Amino acid sequence: MIENYKVPSSIAEAAQILHQGEATIVAGGTDLTPQTEAGAREFAVTLINIQRIEEMRGISRSDDRYRIGGLTTVTEILESESLAIDVPVLVEAADHFASPQIRNAATIAGNLCNASPAGDMCIPLLLLDAEVELASWVDGSVSVRTLALADFFTGPGKTVMRTDELLTAVVFNQPVAGFAATFQKSGPRPALEISTVSMGVAAVPEAGVLTVVRVAIGAVAPVPLRATDTEAVLEGQALDESLIDKAAESVQQEVSPIDDVRASAWYRKHLTGVYLRRALSHVAGN
Amino acid sequence: MSTVIEKKTVIGKRIPKPDAPDKATGRTIYINDMVLPRMLFGKILHTDRVHAKIISIDTSAAKALPGVHTVLTGDDIPVLRFGTTRDNVPLKAGKVRCIRDEVAAVAAESEAIAAEALGLIKVEYEDLPPVFSPTEALREGAPVVQEDHPDNRSLAYEFSHGDIAAAEAESDVVLEHQFDLPYVTHCCMGPGCVIADFDTAGKLTIYSQTQYPYNYKMDLAPALGIHPGDIRVIQPPVGGAFGSKLDVYPFEPICALLARAAGRPVKLTFSREEEFINSPTRQPVEFKIRSGVKKDGTLTFRSVDCLLNNGAYTSWGPTTPVIQMRTFTGHFRVPVVEYKSQSVYTNSVYAGSFRGYGNVQATYVTASVMDMLAEEVGMDPIAFRLKNAQHSGEITPQGSILDDCRLGECIEIAAEKTDFLRKHEANIGNRDQSARFKYGIGIATSIHNAGGAKIHKSDGCGTILKLDDYARATLITGASEIGQGIDAVLTQIVMEELGIPMSDITIVNNDTALGPWDVGVHASRTTFIAGNSALRAARAARKQVLDAAAKQSNVTAEEMDLRSGYVVQADNGVAIIKLDKLLRQMHFTDEPELVMVTEYYEPPSELEDKNHVGNLSATWAHGAYVAEVRVDTETGEVKVLKMTAVQDVGRVINQLGIEGQMEGGISVSLGYALSEELQIRDGKVLNPSFRDYKVPTAPETPEIELHFVESNCKEGPMGAKGIAELPAIIPAPAIANAVYNAIGIRFFAPPMTPEKVARALHQ
Amino acid sequence: MSLEIEVGFTLNGRTVQVKVPPGMTTLAMLREKLDMTGGKLACGEGECGACTVKIDGRTINSCLMFAVDCDGRDIQTIEGLGSVAGLEIMQQAFVEHGAIQCGYCMPGMIMQARYLVDQNAGNDQKLSREDIARGLEGNVCRCSGYTKVVDAVAAVALEEASA
Repeated sequence: MIENYKVPSSIAEAAQILHQGEATIVAGGTDLTPQTEAGAREFAVTLINIQRIEEMRGISRSDDRYRIGGLTTVTEILESESLAIDVPVLVEAADHFASPQIRNAATIAGNLCNASPAGDMCIPLLLLDAEVELASWVDGSVSVRTLALADFFTGPGKTVMRTDELLTAVVFNQPVAGFAATFQKSGPRPALEISTVSMGVAAVPEAGVLTVVRVAIGAVAPVPLRATDTEAVLEGQALDESLIDKAAESVQQEVSPIDDVRASAWYRKHLTGVYLRRALSHVAGN
Repeated sequence: MSTVIEKKTVIGKRIPKPDAPDKATGRTIYINDMVLPRMLFGKILHTDRVHAKIISIDTSAAKALPGVHTVLTGDDIPVLRFGTTRDNVPLKAGKVRCIRDEVAAVAAESEAIAAEALGLIKVEYEDLPPVFSPTEALREGAPVVQEDHPDNRSLAYEFSHGDIAAAEAESDVVLEHQFDLPYVTHCCMGPGCVIADFDTAGKLTIYSQTQYPYNYKMDLAPALGIHPGDIRVIQPPVGGAFGSKLDVYPFEPICALLARAAGRPVKLTFSREEEFINSPTRQPVEFKIRSGVKKDGTLTFRSVDCLLNNGAYTSWGPTTPVIQMRTFTGHFRVPVVEYKSQSVYTNSVYAGSFRGYGNVQATYVTASVMDMLAEEVGMDPIAFRLKNAQHSGEITPQGSILDDCRLGECIEIAAEKTDFLRKHEANIGNRDQSARFKYGIGIATSIHNAGGAKIHKSDGCGTILKLDDYARATLITGASEIGQGIDAVLTQIVMEELGIPMSDITIVNNDTALGPWDVGVHASRTTFIAGNSALRAARAARKQVLDAAAKQSNVTAEEMDLRSGYVVQADNGVAIIKLDKLLRQMHFTDEPELVMVTEYYEPPSELEDKNHVGNLSATWAHGAYVAEVRVDTETGEVKVLKMTAVQDVGRVINQLGIEGQMEGGISVSLGYALSEELQIRDGKVLNPSFRDYKVPTAPETPEIELHFVESNCKEGPMGAKGIAELPAIIPAPAIANAVYNAIGIRFFAPPMTPEKVARALHQ
Repeated sequence: MSLEIEVGFTLNGRTVQVKVPPGMTTLAMLREKLDMTGGKLACGEGECGACTVKIDGRTINSCLMFAVDCDGRDIQTIEGLGSVAGLEIMQQAFVEHGAIQCGYCMPGMIMQARYLVDQNAGNDQKLSREDIARGLEGNVCRCSGYTKVVDAVAAVALEEASA
């Protein structure tokens, strides 16, 4: 039963409320409502609506560093002209995200905090080595810790975030010159779909050799993950048929999918291989 | 100066549904939107077991919750058996048999309170060994689901014509296959909803989503222990039906029982999850089919043995063999046929009727087998079908009279419009190439009742038509509107016969206290049956009006016509008198007459005899559909690029409506082919949400090309036939045949999900 | 007495004040507290689009939005799309193209269709049938098979582009 409803207008105010005890944070609401309706999660006694915290909105860039406010919606990412130029893979993933109505409401912070193994926005952000900013109220002021997104998730619906923390922004550096990346996703329905498998691959291709290789995969493990073994297989090597075969084999070893109502582990592994091949071919530029 | 009015027909035109503007503006009040004064909200506690003894139910805490008015369990009411074979009761006492079973119900001042009360009810069970597969359930010593049926056998059907052994002996090729067709569900956008209200005399008014309001009274009454005559059914607008509302399901009598106990109106609405779990499904069927053919492509016999999972109770699903059988015995000229079905009780969920009613399953099988037989004898799918297609005048072994058979014509048009043979051949040639995408084309055909289906003693529909002093018509029909557009068709018929505009016609069809009897909206029957009924009523009204006009004119009634609100001379269109003026003259005289006619149309069809022989429908129709697909051989995704549909529709009455019915039917069949399956494991529904049960959405919709064969059915209203089920029947096997054409793999158990296709290709 | 929060916002051009429990959805508030029954509860989890309304210029699934978050916003429902006098052009197109059968999903579908065409206004690139289908991917319809829906939206897009 909700006994308190709070609408903070600043990060400091929100952090103070969180400091006072456990609360349910609502942003876009797109994941929260089905979870509570289905009984998977109960409301805490305090409901905090963070939608009025203006400093958590918007996409900004200073020097080579991008900062996406936690309340930025997926639509805002999709429509961002600067992201489309600098990090098109993020826009590509946004375009595959759920439906237009959900994109209009869902926030980047919400998608990350929901920590679904199939969370689509996690994949491109993992490729970008993104970090998240977590704010809390410590000794009378706002304290912010910055954490690699790769270290953020701990299991389905679970993250390292403490109950007194708020995810205020996602930050990442503009990729190095020549950085190419792609996002692949499947599903019987094209968009309004919890991914059977989603995959991102990024690299700097030069003279048939890939460097700065990154492979991120969703829905094949308890958390969205970076396939570091496969990255190592590919890093600095000449991309030919045999390397692609080797990488596809490696990535299928690296994932640990489950059988569920959406797909079998076998099919998820199979798709992982298919998508890696497609992604490599795309990134290598053919 | 005389007014001259030309004849303008509305038949065959694109007429929007009369109720569409209110639906487009959000004004339409659906049953789910209704609120009655003093209304309470009902909720049902469904069991979480699949087979268990109920040891005890403690409702004391629920009853004590403020805002709760009534809590009922099976022990609070007498045993009230209802259902197709009287094997169901509203609230279960003593034992639960499947995951849908209703063990208690609450009426409270809000849905939230009712939901909270459900959480306070404690039920103690003792689990019983369950049985889920029909094969297992038939074994000696299997758990008994229904005590009255210790062998677990529910309904069975049998038909035999000719000597199978002899036919097999003269066959050059005999093929035997097994097919396994899944559970799918209707996914009506408006979740299940009912509102019940008793008056002090004990008479029930029930606001229902039902598709068959008149027989619904008969079926609902025993579940309440009241007389069917004491039930008035009101049908507010509904969010889809598709066959799911052709029976009484427990939530309806439960709602009425709550209303009676509480002495207040009670509304009971399903959540989407409840809707997925508790709605009747399409009947799942395991088929064994043996079929023979001679080298020259002549079919010799079909022998079909099928097993139906009855689930724990019997709704319409286990009766679908009645229509399945017609296709196995009557689609293409098959001289020798036998058909056997056995429905078997299990602790699974139970099936009802769903657009296509058994023919969906039968056509998936026959259309797949036709392609396999053709390949065996080295014929192409078109020539093979044409060779075995019946001609006008033939009668099938079950007595379906094909007086004007357009099967061959449909096949020829479909083949020609799609360049079928060239593509089919080319795709086979490309199968072995190592391309990511493979392309396929496939054809399927079927037959369906298109003039009603006489499964009750009457298959009729009544109409009351009146014209008022202002020449406004009210047509009161027994036919229900569930979105299919009978409102437009009947309006057009009145417009055509009486020469008045759409805006001057009101259709009333939502109250059994007003409307004359009708069987219900099912079996592709409404345009044909209700249309004929309305047409006859309109013609009687027309005759009465013209006879009156002739009395005061030197023109005879036969030489007159009704156009644009006038009585006119038919040959030159010269106006004689305004219709409203004439009607007032008829009314306000010394010998007053009102125009108010009644009509009951009974189609010239037959009940089956005990051997399942008889011309069940007043007419039959065929269709031939061609699917063109692209298969991603890496991921297994099948994309339907185009669907070309050719169908004998008799005559198009409403071009807009008929296209809508066909496009909508194709979409449902697309889901059946590729993505939809209600996954049930150990009696439990695993995917009760749109997230995991995949209905087609706009991006998956293929390009659709429609061709109407207008055979001008002699018995049909203005020549029309019933049309709305074939589009939901034929596309799925056309897609399966196209997938085979693309990759050489046949799928005997739809849906052809990406995973299934990928497994077939890679595992 | 359980907690209720007073929220104020603009609904179809009129200012409203309403008290809602903090856990209530926008859809429930619209239907139960404000008599706006055009938007429907068909799934309650953002999978079908039948509850689509426009808030601050963007369409959302009102079954997923908390009613308390409506405070200070501008909301348009299907009831606010046309006028008392007549249908808005998109509504009219859905009627004329025969897109509406049972119609239960249509208030949401039409709201999304209107938004889709508005979003593309001023864009040089015309909406293709594929664009329209994708723009409606969050709206489920079980009657129409979508073809006539796309026809209707394409007709409006064309008409408004050439106006």
